[in-house]
Amino acid sequence: MAVNQFNLPKGQRAERKLLITVAEWKEPATTEGGEPTVVREVLGTRTEESSIEYNPDISTTTDILGYNYTDVNKTQPQQDFDPFLVIGGSKLGAKLNDIRKRNALAELSQFTLYVITAFIGDATKGYEAERHTDCTILYNSMGGDVNVNFPISCYYSNVITNGTVDKLTDDFVFTPDITI
Amino acid sequence: MEIDKNQAIIDYLLQCPTLASNPMFFNCVKAESDNKQIITLENDKVMDKTYIDGSVEKRYTFTIIDFRAVTYNPIVNQLGYSNENVEQLLDVQGIIDWITEQNNLRNFPNFGDKCLISSISSTTNNPRLNTVDTTASPALAKYSTSIRVEYLDTSQCIWNN
Repeated sequence: MAVNQFNLPKGQRAERKLLITVAEWKEPATTEGGEPTVVREVLGTRTEESSIEYNPDISTTTDILGYNYTDVNKTQPQQDFDPFLVIGGSKLGAKLNDIRKRNALAELSQFTLYVITAFIGDATKGYEAERHTDCTILYNSMGGDVNVNFPISCYYSNVITNGTVDKLTDDFVFTPDITI
Repeated sequence: MEIDKNQAIIDYLLQCPTLASNPMFFNCVKAESDNKQIITLENDKVMDKTYIDGSVEKRYTFTIIDFRAVTYNPIVNQLGYSNENVEQLLDVQGIIDWITEQNNLRNFPNFGDKCLISSISSTTNNPRLNTVDTTASPALAKYSTSIRVEYLDTSQCIWNN
């Protein structure tokens, strides 16, 4: 499959807002026999800096000629959001706080994370995206100075489906790529 | 919809009884007792904070000038007597108190739906006496109070919630 090129003029840098992380989870049905509700929230409100750290496990050997051979055994991608402020209307903040109160740690690993690279694709063809299922979102602390900070770390599962999203709103539709 | 922030501030300040009941001017003023003046200040972009979703935390700062006629009566230590200049300052202080009260009530200026205001506050606890114009008749004291509005500008966000 051909590599998709960046949808940017030559030499133009991609603005940070074009790399988007969205958390998705299911809320149980409120009525008996009803369907669970899919809830999404874009991450990064009032966060000044956040990167996906791949945390590779690397082993390097050197042969008798002095050449290095490097193996990447695994990556353990992780993305921190600090600050992650307690803000009115934050569905993920409320969800994590509910888990925190109940100490229901198993529920922290129920998240799907989308990484949308909006600098590839456009509103017509869709934006390139990766869906990571069975991810973990962990709250690290709660407190702070002026405002309540509830910083989180997202741990990616490496269970990845590549595809596109049709629009940049919470109700986007993710379409997996077709492999021929 | 793009909102003129200057007009939004004027509309907002007209809710303040002290300001609404006296002549109020924008940037240019006729310096007379009890006249008020709103002066817009430059807001340094270096202070802007950009977030990864494209939103920007900004400040809108302005100063309210309050002209008051002064007297040259000394302070007298006598029960029931109050000095006019002290009373005037207390009245000017009322603008700061009103701003603080509105902030606590979360009653903010309307900067439009793309600007989320987080606070409005005076930059100092007390008004500043800038000068006394002794050439005016009566002599005129010029008090100033700077007000800061902190807001989140989401107009550059690409994600539509």
